[in-house]
Amino acid sequence: MAGLYIPVLLHFVAVVVLASALLGLSWWVGVKRPTREKLSPYECGIPPVGNARERFSVSFYLVGMLFILFDVEAVFLYPWAVVFKSLKWFGFVEMFLYIAILLAGYIYIWKKGALEWTR
Amino acid sequence: MITLQTADLVRILPEIVLSIFGILVMVLEPFVAAAQKKLLGWMALLGVLAAATATVRTSFEPGLAFGGTIAADEFSIYFIYLFLLTAGLVILGSIDYLERNHAQHGEFYALVLLGTVGMCFMAASTDLIMIFLGLEISSISTYILAGFRRADRLSNEAALKYFLLGSFATAFFLYGIAFVYGLTGTTNLLGLSARLMEPSQWTTFARVALVLMFVGLAFKLSTVPFQVWTPDVYQGAPAPVTAFLSVGPKAAAFAVLLRLFLGGFASAGTVSFWILWISAALTMCLGNLAALWQTNVKRLLAYSSIAHAGYILVGVAAGGSRGISAVLFYLVAYALMNVGAFIMVAHLSGTGERLVQIEDYTGLAFERPGVAACLAVFFLSLAGFPTTAGFLGKFYVFRAAIHSHLIGLTVLALLNSVVSVYYYLRIVVAMYMREGKTEAATVELPWPVRTALAVSVLGIFYLGLAPKLPLGLSTLAALPLPK
Amino acid sequence: MQFAHDHILSIILFIPVVGMIPLFFISGENKQATRWWGNVVMFVDFLASLPLVFWFSREAPDQQFKFIERHNWIPSIGAQYFLGIDGISFLLIMLTTVLGFLAVLSSWTSIQERVKEYYAMFLLLQAGMLGVFMSLDFFLFYVFWEVMLVPMYFIIGVWGGPRKLYAAIKFFLFTLAGSVLMLLGILTLYFRYHADTGLYTFNVLELMKHTWPLNLQYWVFWAFMVGFAIKVPMFPFHTWLPDAHVEAPTAGSVILAGVLLKMGTYGFIRFSLPLLPQASTNPRIVKVMVVLSIIAIIYGALVSLMQRDMKKLIAYSSVSHLGFCTLGIFALNPHGLQGSVIQQVNHGISTGALFLIVGLIYERRHTREIKELGGLSNVMPVYATLFMIVMLSSIGLPLLNGFIGEFTILQGAYEVSWRWAAWAVAGIVLGAAYMLWLYQRTMFGPCENPKNQVLKDLSFREIMTLVPLVIWAFWIGLYPKPFFNVLDKPVNAIVERLNPDFFKAAQSARAPAMSPPAAPASLEMPSHAAGASH
Repeated sequence: MAGLYIPVLLHFVAVVVLASALLGLSWWVGVKRPTREKLSPYECGIPPVGNARERFSVSFYLVGMLFILFDVEAVFLYPWAVVFKSLKWFGFVEMFLYIAILLAGYIYIWKKGALEWTR
Repeated sequence: MITLQTADLVRILPEIVLSIFGILVMVLEPFVAAAQKKLLGWMALLGVLAAATATVRTSFEPGLAFGGTIAADEFSIYFIYLFLLTAGLVILGSIDYLERNHAQHGEFYALVLLGTVGMCFMAASTDLIMIFLGLEISSISTYILAGFRRADRLSNEAALKYFLLGSFATAFFLYGIAFVYGLTGTTNLLGLSARLMEPSQWTTFARVALVLMFVGLAFKLSTVPFQVWTPDVYQGAPAPVTAFLSVGPKAAAFAVLLRLFLGGFASAGTVSFWILWISAALTMCLGNLAALWQTNVKRLLAYSSIAHAGYILVGVAAGGSRGISAVLFYLVAYALMNVGAFIMVAHLSGTGERLVQIEDYTGLAFERPGVAACLAVFFLSLAGFPTTAGFLGKFYVFRAAIHSHLIGLTVLALLNSVVSVYYYLRIVVAMYMREGKTEAATVELPWPVRTALAVSVLGIFYLGLAPKLPLGLSTLAALPLPK
Repeated sequence: MQFAHDHILSIILFIPVVGMIPLFFISGENKQATRWWGNVVMFVDFLASLPLVFWFSREAPDQQFKFIERHNWIPSIGAQYFLGIDGISFLLIMLTTVLGFLAVLSSWTSIQERVKEYYAMFLLLQAGMLGVFMSLDFFLFYVFWEVMLVPMYFIIGVWGGPRKLYAAIKFFLFTLAGSVLMLLGILTLYFRYHADTGLYTFNVLELMKHTWPLNLQYWVFWAFMVGFAIKVPMFPFHTWLPDAHVEAPTAGSVILAGVLLKMGTYGFIRFSLPLLPQASTNPRIVKVMVVLSIIAIIYGALVSLMQRDMKKLIAYSSVSHLGFCTLGIFALNPHGLQGSVIQQVNHGISTGALFLIVGLIYERRHTREIKELGGLSNVMPVYATLFMIVMLSSIGLPLLNGFIGEFTILQGAYEVSWRWAAWAVAGIVLGAAYMLWLYQRTMFGPCENPKNQVLKDLSFREIMTLVPLVIWAFWIGLYPKPFFNVLDKPVNAIVERLNPDFFKAAQSARAPAMSPPAAPASLEMPSHAAGASH
């Protein structure tokens, strides 16, 4: 019983060993010549401006959360699409209902003004 | 190949109806003018009534649904009616409360309905995964409800505390499910009991699984030592929500406990028995002792509800059809008196829930005899006085306990109910026997609130004086569970 | 008429409950109408109970319990609505209806606040008390026992004196603790009966037919004993009584002393003795009960001597008087038991009247301090006369009721042991001392206090509250035969149950002397003795 899991354990060990070996090797072999530019945070090639610890508008979090909600729910469409053919009409109706409920939520947040940036 | 049969849908018809109304209230909310928000409350109440009608249809077609994950049997139908009753009373009691506290939002009603859906699923599920889903649906709705007085510090504290400890509890429960699945390869309660038939199969791991699931439920039941969140949350949450919290999730958790401990885990024998015995004893004693020192009515009722969970656990520990039907009967009695008491407290507390100390009730009976009499009935029933539902509930539980030879536990429960009389009487004393003027007396009780209170009071006396029918129903509802 | 005859007990029981309903529709401002209605309902209830007096002796002479009404109430637990009375409960029911009406009548002027609630509480209390004396089903009995606790609690707590909260809560918690123990006892019998027969029943008559194991009898006896002894109250459990009496309004005290205390002694007679005969006749238990009774008699009397407050004095005198009642019960012979029931009625009459008398003076002077009063016989002659009769009845003067009760109890006690009787006689002497001294200090001597000099004598209504009691006191004192007749049968049944050989032994002891030819009676003796040893 427990023997079945030995390959899994070996896999874990291999992953850990490989990852730490690669990182450690590059750190050990690599040549380090730090300059001011190299140490500054990378922001798409534009010189960084201001403090990194800035306050964001609360709307940002709101939209962020809503995005994640709908995003995660949209993920469900993928497994559904995979087995769609074997589910037939049942699958179609179920997904229709699912999207309808999502739509209700969408209408709700829209009307509530959660998507408006300035309020 | 999955096929959907009409029977499957009929067997979850109450939940479907409730969900539809919940979503509808939610979607309509932004379209309704601020002055008309009350309408959403009435719509939610209509949903509860529609669901109650739908349950009648369900009861004509009993059986398992969705591959044995849902059971539409007498047990679940009994609980569904219990939840609908609670939700209905809470909605009736909330409409004017929210109006007064300037918190009239349609989401409140939608959340109550959706929370009820979760509870119904908890009671009706025969599969651990479905139970977990029900638990989450009901929990998430109630987390939000607990923080509904957004401007109030205590309400926010309550929501956060309830959320953190609740997530903690569901994690325990989920962990237990994982263990069970690992051990037996199934999450279905029937399959589970088939795999764990022999006492020899109760290895350490199986016991760990049992304890983990009990801990998860114990948070919802607020049994000692998992009760610490209860007073703070009950105090902070808006009082109608507290009414909902103190009855709904607790009753749902008891339904799960009964299905689990007397169904799937029935063979665990001594382990589950001692877990129940010890937590019943601790819960009764600690709940009552702590309640003695409270000065805030909401906290007092919180500790009293902890103590009542202890009494109900005595019935669960007793087991058998007697124990189960006693628990079921007690839950209805508990629902009526607790919801009634909290709704009354909600309305007496005035705007912003300022008047929730026992002193605030001083001399209430002089100016508002009817109000005081109602409250006195609720407290006397909670104290277990004859002619009220509370007395017969306790009587049935103790009878079942003695029948299962739990003499020690019964004596302890009796002593506890004597102690409890003292703190219930403190409020009665304040209302009737101390002179004084109280601002609480100026509160108006609109007719929906009066209706809710009248239903509670009449229900309490009905159960206490002519319990033939309700008792028959609770005996019937106990049948589906294995003996 | 036939309907009324068959349901007489339910009618008496529910008149006060039904009478409560119109009370809710009378405006709270309309105090006069409320008073009228309360009094009318109580009077109608009294009238409804009157036919019992005429029907009782003719009704079903061979039955132990009469006017039986029986319906299923909660079949699944075996609880029934089961009413029925015998001579003992008959007398106590009459006492309740009379005292209930008089107590309500006496509150006409003394209750000025929250009149409606007051009368509602009294009606509920009345129903509860009547139910206790009528129930032959333990579950029903327990329900009434607890139900009457609530209105009494409110009567003390709402309309009581300065320390009403303390007194009310103490009363409630003491009684509740006792009744929960009693409930445990009831449940023990209930489950044992189920274990033996497979039936769930609270029917007292069925339970009485059952033979209980000795060990169980002892446990249940002590559980019942605490429950009833708190109510009586017997010696170590009596501390709630003075507080409750002193703080309660007059009518509350009257009912408390007149009826509520009798529930304890009634419980002993109705339940403890016949249900648990072996435990009740156990010499040690009897000794404990008798010693506690004698302590109560002497202690109550001594403490009464020390009191400065009239009401407290009478409260402690109740402890002493009730000691006689329990002594009579645990003499366990017909005289003791009969005397005990008669004395219970007597105590209801005379102590009820005494509390009314204290109430009358309290209403006028707003004090009950003995030293504040004095020489009242000069200004209130009618009052003084009535007080005198009532006081003499309480002392136990021949020709008045107290004498009959105490004498019969002493007779019963003497038949068992002369020592018991001797101690009890000491209690009577002390009783005479504190009562006479009280009377002397309040009624005789010069009336010096100017406040007392202007007191008005009794009004017609006030006289009417006392006269029925005085008449009743004379009736029992002069012609007690009907009362004994009524009690004969139930008391003999109880004695028979306690000691199956009691009457046979008495008969056969007498038989050879009175009628020599009746030889077979003496021949039967050994066989009875053999039978008893089984």
